Amino acid sequence: MVFAKTKSLLLTLLFLLAPLCVSAETLVVEQSFNGDHEIQATFATAADKAVAEDISRYTVFEEQDPDIRLTITSAKLGADGKNVSLHFADPLNTANTHVVAMKGSGEAEQTLFKVSKSYLGYLFGIFISALLINNFVFTKYLGLCVFFGTSKKKSTAKGMGVVFTLVMVVSAIMSWFFYQFILIPYDLNFLQIVVFIGLVSLTVQAVDTILRKVNPILFNSFGVFLVLVIANCVIIAVPLIVANNNYNFFETLMLALGAGGGFLLALYLMSAVSERLQLANIPPTFKGLPIAFIVAGQFAMAFLGFSGLQVF
Amino acid sequence: MKDIITIVIRLTVSCLMAATVMGLCFIFTSSAKKHNEHVREQRVMYELLGYDAGAEIPESVSLYEIYRYVVSRGTGQSIAYLLPEGEDDNFLFVEIDLDGKFLNAKPMEMSEQDALEHDVRTKHIQADLGETVHAEFADQILIATDDGKRTAYIIGGKFQGFKTFINVMMAVKPDFSILGLEILEHEEDPGLGAEIEQDYFKNQFKDKPFEALKVVDVVKAPIPDDYLKALNNKVSEEDVLKFREQYKDKDIYAITGATISTRAVSNGVKAIVMKFAYRVTVLDKVLEAEHIAVPF
Amino acid sequence: MANDKSSIQLVTRGILSENPIFKLALSMCPAVGISTTVMNGIMLGIAVLFVQVFSSVTISIFKNMIHPRIRIPTYTLTIATWVTVIDLVLAAYMPEAYAKMGIFVKLIVAFAIITMRLEMFACKEPVKDSFWDGIGMGLGFMVGMMAIGFIRELLGSGAILGHDVLGFKPLLFFILPSAGFFVVGLMMAFFNWIEVYYKRTKGLQ
Repeated sequence: MVFAKTKSLLLTLLFLLAPLCVSAETLVVEQSFNGDHEIQATFATAADKAVAEDISRYTVFEEQDPDIRLTITSAKLGADGKNVSLHFADPLNTANTHVVAMKGSGEAEQTLFKVSKSYLGYLFGIFISALLINNFVFTKYLGLCVFFGTSKKKSTAKGMGVVFTLVMVVSAIMSWFFYQFILIPYDLNFLQIVVFIGLVSLTVQAVDTILRKVNPILFNSFGVFLVLVIANCVIIAVPLIVANNNYNFFETLMLALGAGGGFLLALYLMSAVSERLQLANIPPTFKGLPIAFIVAGQFAMAFLGFSGLQVF
Repeated sequence: MKDIITIVIRLTVSCLMAATVMGLCFIFTSSAKKHNEHVREQRVMYELLGYDAGAEIPESVSLYEIYRYVVSRGTGQSIAYLLPEGEDDNFLFVEIDLDGKFLNAKPMEMSEQDALEHDVRTKHIQADLGETVHAEFADQILIATDDGKRTAYIIGGKFQGFKTFINVMMAVKPDFSILGLEILEHEEDPGLGAEIEQDYFKNQFKDKPFEALKVVDVVKAPIPDDYLKALNNKVSEEDVLKFREQYKDKDIYAITGATISTRAVSNGVKAIVMKFAYRVTVLDKVLEAEHIAVPF
Repeated sequence: MANDKSSIQLVTRGILSENPIFKLALSMCPAVGISTTVMNGIMLGIAVLFVQVFSSVTISIFKNMIHPRIRIPTYTLTIATWVTVIDLVLAAYMPEAYAKMGIFVKLIVAFAIITMRLEMFACKEPVKDSFWDGIGMGLGFMVGMMAIGFIRELLGSGAILGHDVLGFKPLLFFILPSAGFFVVGLMMAFFNWIEVYYKRTKGLQ
């Protein structure tokens, strides 16, 4: 189990680092979705027009539904004889991996290739989603205590955001390892809360100690915030979400980065407004927290505009 | 030094105590959780079939579970169904190739309880197929019969909503028109996308014929007042049926401010039913051609 | 803190003068996030009440055995244990309500209010007082959640506890996700205004 996970991790790494070397050996060099109705493929060598445009030679299905064939309306070969685009009758569900099987001119030979959205694009999508679309403060309503407590000055906000991001990334990665290699194999899923909060505290303590030794100047400017980090829901929420969605290592990393970045962004935006609010003439009953909540509400409404945004 | 020892001892003791509390709680709740989930699932199923909570379910009605697996062996893939065979604990594992041709059928002995548990069932099948063949569970369907005649299928599925996944369960008549739709899980925004769990939205799908569902689309218009009343079951039963008849070939009215969620549900439902209809037709053809007797 | 406080005083203090949501401004996340209905408020309120009371009592019982240097880890462990318990129980017996509250039940573990009460009250006071203090704080949280939920549910969907009372939906805006911020902000301002008004009239007399 553990071995298989590590292997898959290594494979993914390989896949990420060397996509060109792998695909160069096959007949089909490049494949991608083109809009909702089209799959495009590029051959290594020019293909015969009659063969490439014969739709009966293609079978296309979604990877998890191999028995449901998608109907192709036409296949068109580009002018250079290398590009073929397959048109489909119904819109494709581009979130799923599609498998295209192609019969060549010889009767027996058959080429299989898979079409899916780029994995890096998907990872970037997770990052953007955690940063903007599902911003932890404005659309998930997490970490509000610290958010309202420390968003008075821009400099504090920046320091706080950076410390949070750092702790989030480290603790999320540690939690991921614990979750995948200890909690799941031994069926200890119900211990999630205890394990995650323990790891978060541990990370905070470690960052505190290391920073104190390695960079005392940085520690002096950040140290104050570290205590605040422990009991904060925005940090513990990341591993919980990871566990819920069963994310892999890279997805976890991107989610943690996005969540931390989103928190930094929210703090910075809020502190920029707070600095101006101090000069404004506010009714006495609204001074302090009430006006901060209303400003945050306006930000939340603005961030609602991001929802439904689709990246890649 | 002495300090450290006491700290270690005290922390260990408190961890042990905490572990005892949590462990005991887990032991007591885990079986209850499973039971309650099962009860809830059953309730939703019966409600979809038209038997509301507390209603008497006639003796002649029986339910049969069918599990679909994707079998991959070295080069190719095939689809397999685990079907109940007769009254006792016998199951039949029917393999069909991707073009809908019959491959083989082998009996499998398994208690009904084992078949219900996903892990146990999959292990059983895997052991029967051997090392070289890999079977992966795809989905399950439920066939309801009354006096040996099929009255409905219950199918489930998951698709991408506006925010995360939407998990649905629906009952489909033998002619593949929709009998009822239930949203099990979703994370849409309250007040907007979350309205998909309201009756007035779900009831729009009721009695939609298969032909109309194949081409169903979403219209961005407010629901007419009298139709809305009918969807909320606020008029007499005959009127509800009349409205259903009138609107059965029409498109789905979008929820205000949640067109994407609406579209996600209608497309998701469409895709699930279409795939299901194709598979059931293939399976029925194979069962008939091979003279395999099944209780449904 | 004096020991002669009666249980009633301890409870009312938690609900009114030291209300965790409106006065102490702690544990705001669920107050904004899932206060769309009164029912959600009640359910999460019960969960918090349970965790607060059990943690307070536990710490109060063992207060002499807790080494001062590992105070905070012990609190965290205690809270995490009870949160796990309530999480398991809710998931088993009330799956539908649990699904609505989502991640927030698990996040009770990071509620500042609970740790603060343990640090400020339960580790010094006897078991009985800690119990009543826990009840007060838990109820205070629940009342706050219910008040926000009441306003949002009534104005947003014209209903109370799922029962249609108005027959129409006055302002859909209130049930939308971001409205939580506005409702909490306006309610805080309202309570401030009452306080200011009260003080002013008192000063005039």
